Amino acid sequence: MLIKKELLKRQIAGETFLVPLGKTVYENNGLFLLSDVGAFLWDRIPGADNEETLVRAVLEEYEIDEKTAREDIGAFLDKLRSMDII
Amino acid sequence: MNNRRTEPAMATFLHSRGDQLGLPIGGNFELTARCNFNCPMCYVNLSQADVDARGRELTAEQWISIARQARDQGLIFALLTGGEPFVRKDFFEIYGAMKAMGLLVSINSNGSMLSGDILQRLLEDPPFRINISLYGGCEETYRNMCGQNAFERVITAIRALKAAGVDVRLNLSITPYNRKDLDRIFELAMELQVHVKASAYMYPPIRVNGDCGHRLTAEEAAEAAVRWDQLRLPPEDFVQRAKNMSKLICVEQNECGADLDEGVSCRAGRTSFWITWDGKMRPCGMMPGPEVYPLEQGFAPAWEMLRAETKKIKCPSACVGCKYREVCSVCAAVCVTETGRFDGVPEYMCRMARATVRATQAACEERSGQIC
Repeated sequence: MLIKKELLKRQIAGETFLVPLGKTVYENNGLFLLSDVGAFLWDRIPGADNEETLVRAVLEEYEIDEKTAREDIGAFLDKLRSMDII
Repeated sequence: MNNRRTEPAMATFLHSRGDQLGLPIGGNFELTARCNFNCPMCYVNLSQADVDARGRELTAEQWISIARQARDQGLIFALLTGGEPFVRKDFFEIYGAMKAMGLLVSINSNGSMLSGDILQRLLEDPPFRINISLYGGCEETYRNMCGQNAFERVITAIRALKAAGVDVRLNLSITPYNRKDLDRIFELAMELQVHVKASAYMYPPIRVNGDCGHRLTAEEAAEAAVRWDQLRLPPEDFVQRAKNMSKLICVEQNECGADLDEGVSCRAGRTSFWITWDGKMRPCGMMPGPEVYPLEQGFAPAWEMLRAETKKIKCPSACVGCKYREVCSVCAAVCVTETGRFDGVPEYMCRMARATVRATQAACEERSGQIC
């Protein structure tokens, strides 16, 4: 999967944020707050061939049932697609 | 156009969390004291000769090093200010490095140099926000106040920035030179669709020469502030403001974002810092101290020291208990610049608060025909 925007992941005050860089400021001028799982997924998106890769990674890392993981990951990726980030 | 106080909720959240954890969430970097304008009321403007005499500006490498250390401590909101920051030939070296390290970088500028290559480079890598100081509504005012015809240049720059999609805000300092322009400036802001943060209160420029001869009297400043309120607020909100004022209850948070208590209760020295052009770190740019030295001490120890020193500041108990407290913009910086002491009662601000209440009520009654 391809991240299309210039966004830098940062830890600030115990939370994980994405900070816009370069011209990404024009479309996304602010901070994105990521949950723990969101941050985990963000690191793996560039190396993931598809959604299935991310589902497997989450199931290995977290105690969560597969149905919930698929739904949550799907919703997260849909959100990123809707903002043209991936 | 929304001319009320605006701040992203995330910024409020981060400053609140930063206050609990002792983090420097916001940093002001005064890159230079030099400016291509020569405004008589400026609190920082120095000539090249004065800069040479008083010290030296930090190099780009030094600014970047401090910013990186601050970033590692939690800094996210960085403001590049001056003087006029674009007079530095290495401005984009500093700006680009700070953006690349993951800071949301805003810029304070007079807007007069934003054309050609400078504008192009800014549009290629836009800031989180640019705050343009607008000094008047015509060339005559710019000549009288800033020493040059820059009005059209500044307006052209604002239009170009807005057209590209850059977040532009205007800062307006109301002085004897431009108070006649308020209505015109408001019209312009409406036309340009930009938020204006106006202030009729001018701190004594104690960092330069302490000459208060270029600001309005307290009563004139109050009149100007109320005129601006009339322009920016819908009629019903202005009436409500007047009614609140008549009861001396809170009308709006003061501009630092917190009410006065016995200590420093805004963000200065708690979650934000100011570094002067010659490398001194203070709670806010208006205060002459306390100060620490991040270049010599390292940012993290200097920040800890600044927080500790800021906690020792005590504002006048007379202000905390004053019946005008809710409608007065007094803060620690006002006290120390007006009186030389943090616990000194700033008489100018007392007069301005009282006059603001009177002028607001008078304007309300004139406008609405009812007792406000």
